[in-house]
Amino acid sequence: MRSVLTAFIVCLFALAAGAAELHPPAQVTAGNSITIATSGSGDATFYLIGQSVASKRHVQAGTEIAVDSEQLERAGIYTAILCASDGCASANFVVTPAAPNRLSFLVHPSRVPVDSPNRISAVAFVQDNFHNFVLKSEAVKFSVLPKDGKEISATRNSENGVAWVRLSSAKKEGPTRLGAEIGHANEIRVVQQVAADACNLRIKASRAKKDFLVETDPVKDCSGNSVPDGTVVSFTKVDEAGKATVDVPIKRGVAKVELPVDGRAKITVASGVVTGNELEVAGGQ
Amino acid sequence: MMRKILTAEFAEKTRRPRRMGLRYSSILALLAALACVVLVRELRVLAKENAPRVQLHADNLGPRSIEDLTSKSIPRDYALAWQTMEQALEENRPGLLDGYFTGIAKQDLTQRVHSQIKSGLHTRYQDGGHKLEAIFYSPAGDVMELRDRAKLDIEIMDGGKVIYQEPVSIEYTVTMTPGADRWLVRELQASGGVKP
Amino acid sequence: MKRVLPLVLAAITVVLIVMAWFESGGVERHVLRSAATPEQATRLMLSQIQTHNFDAAYARLANRNDLDKNTFIHEFTGSYGSLLTISALEGFDVGVLHASDQEATVRARLHYATGVGPLDDTRDLTVQRTGDTWKVVWPVDTTAKLPPQVIPVNYLRWDVISRGSGDDWGAQNVDSPQVRIVSMNAIQRPDSVVVLGEVVNEDSVPAYVNVGATLLGPNDEELAQESSFDKIAHTLLPRQVSPYRIDFPNMRLEKIKNVRMEAKALLIAASADPVIAIDQQKLETDRLGRKVLSGKLTNQSGQIVSIPHVIAAYYDSNGKVIWVSDGYVAQALLPQMPVPFAVDLPPDVAKNVQTYRVIVNHFELTT
Repeated sequence: MRSVLTAFIVCLFALAAGAAELHPPAQVTAGNSITIATSGSGDATFYLIGQSVASKRHVQAGTEIAVDSEQLERAGIYTAILCASDGCASANFVVTPAAPNRLSFLVHPSRVPVDSPNRISAVAFVQDNFHNFVLKSEAVKFSVLPKDGKEISATRNSENGVAWVRLSSAKKEGPTRLGAEIGHANEIRVVQQVAADACNLRIKASRAKKDFLVETDPVKDCSGNSVPDGTVVSFTKVDEAGKATVDVPIKRGVAKVELPVDGRAKITVASGVVTGNELEVAGGQ
Repeated sequence: MMRKILTAEFAEKTRRPRRMGLRYSSILALLAALACVVLVRELRVLAKENAPRVQLHADNLGPRSIEDLTSKSIPRDYALAWQTMEQALEENRPGLLDGYFTGIAKQDLTQRVHSQIKSGLHTRYQDGGHKLEAIFYSPAGDVMELRDRAKLDIEIMDGGKVIYQEPVSIEYTVTMTPGADRWLVRELQASGGVKP
Repeated sequence: MKRVLPLVLAAITVVLIVMAWFESGGVERHVLRSAATPEQATRLMLSQIQTHNFDAAYARLANRNDLDKNTFIHEFTGSYGSLLTISALEGFDVGVLHASDQEATVRARLHYATGVGPLDDTRDLTVQRTGDTWKVVWPVDTTAKLPPQVIPVNYLRWDVISRGSGDDWGAQNVDSPQVRIVSMNAIQRPDSVVVLGEVVNEDSVPAYVNVGATLLGPNDEELAQESSFDKIAHTLLPRQVSPYRIDFPNMRLEKIKNVRMEAKALLIAASADPVIAIDQQKLETDRLGRKVLSGKLTNQSGQIVSIPHVIAAYYDSNGKVIWVSDGYVAQALLPQMPVPFAVDLPPDVAKNVQTYRVIVNHFELTT
């Protein structure tokens, strides 16, 4: 009976003293400082646990605890813990992203053949100044700025922090600039539009000193763009001496090679999976 | 009850055969308790060695559809990311984060481990599994956004003292990007839900 | 008992010395010191080359007046960073093809251990009797020497500025080159499954390409994974096509349900130079009775090609790739100097070959 009474008295004292409690705001915008009201009295230890933080400091229970804005930059769920002599109390609060002001802008590919429908993709991840994804829908303005043409733009609303568009490449080679804009963020990426596969690949042959000089006409794609220098053109010659092949890179728009010809020879040309015309020539023995 | 059996006062009152029986049963109880401790410890080690359970749903994924290989790699690599993260936060080893994290997620978690070391804290997770829903896969296949509903039992310790313990159900927004031979977690942002 | 141990140790030492002498070709050198037959003369000379005793080997030549000693030594030690500069003569086989009292023809097969695997060189040598000994006539290279000159080169070169070590995800980037596997064929060989085909660089920049294959079983389980290793031209210029071959030893085709292919490409700094012409290609049977594709490589540029690597794709009448073979050429390619090559192919494949395509890959030794 005596022990029951003792326990009851202890409980009453504890209630009267008031165990430490925390009252953080339910929701905070990233990058803002807050104060957390506490109850209780005496020395206590305050802990703040978040995505990128795990801090500990001594405080007085019953006072307001200030939390710096630097500690609350990353969005997510934070746990505030206050431990006093009578135990620990905790409270969770959410840090939400600030206003959108930053974009991670992914544009692919960085090189694209001309006249390729829906080949370019532009994806923008909407973020605040602290790299937090802004998940609520926001309008992102995408624009295409051709080298010598008028700007074309379209707006897309983000979903789950992402907005994206698909674009087709132009018929003319050259760089084009793609932009994405939100808040103060204006990101620009450059896509290089390059000639597509060679079209109407043709070769001609003329006599050099002792060999035949075989060269292509200027190598162009079907839209009339010059196939870039360095692109490999394969020449194949079959004559009495056997077969000969040479992989020659295009230089100044054409590919050329000197081939010795023994008797009658057939010369063919190809670039990648595209084949060109065939020549028949007759050389000296 | 057990505590009373071991008191001298009670032992004096018992008869000898009964006292012998009690002695043996107390030894057996001690052995059983020891076995339990060892077993629990082993199970915990085993749990840490096994990656958490991750279920991937990619039914509403777009604009790119998920490849067979990617649909296997994403849950595997995400599970391994959580396993290494939990280990890094429990043992305060930031190096463990190098394997499956990159970008801002790695930066955040590394900072968290360093501040845990500075404050003498560590965090222990009991992972109840993850329901992972793929919500965006970029047309070029270079980034995937996912939503994870995770069930966790979080225990925060200051030295050897537990200062916080709570079962929680948290929703994360995750972005993963392909690395050389695996998918890496680039962003892990808790976006809602705390109580189970 | 005290004397037994030293005696045993001494005996073991003697045995080891004798074994080492045998192993190092001591018997051959001892027996052949007289070079009393064409075969002995050839063996003696080659064993001296093997032990890098080039002076003694050169002294045993019948045609020293026509052949400079350094040129002779370079035949075995290589020059201009060629494959022989990172090789060693590991062994040789010698057989007399025909012989008379004064002259004989001896076939010597030299086996080199090189940085890229074994390399065989077959030489038919004339051996002449001089007094009571035989001496080898080492073939003199009659190709004209390249005169000193300046060759202007103005081919394209691509350099790559890589991303920095920091993580700049979501910033301007340069994508990896687009490559495509244009054909794939899985065939059963007696001891392996071979996956072969061709890959093309479809981009406008050079690519470092590697093709990998994963064999999948009936339940889509992974049975084996391999890559093309050196059976591919890794550096592909824009629109360049390379054959590839991936070998899976000890596999059976009937156990495989599917093959998963993967072509990985990286941006790489490269030059469009050198251009190598492959002339006089023909399928023939060589001196050893093997089916080979032979020809001559001519370096049309000014840069010396240290280690040429020939890769050939063979097609059947339907244009399907049915085999890919490769071989390293021991000699470096000097500008405008044709160098012969030959790569062999299995006889059962050779009879189905309708046409073929050869490309030359090249490696440079960097110091």
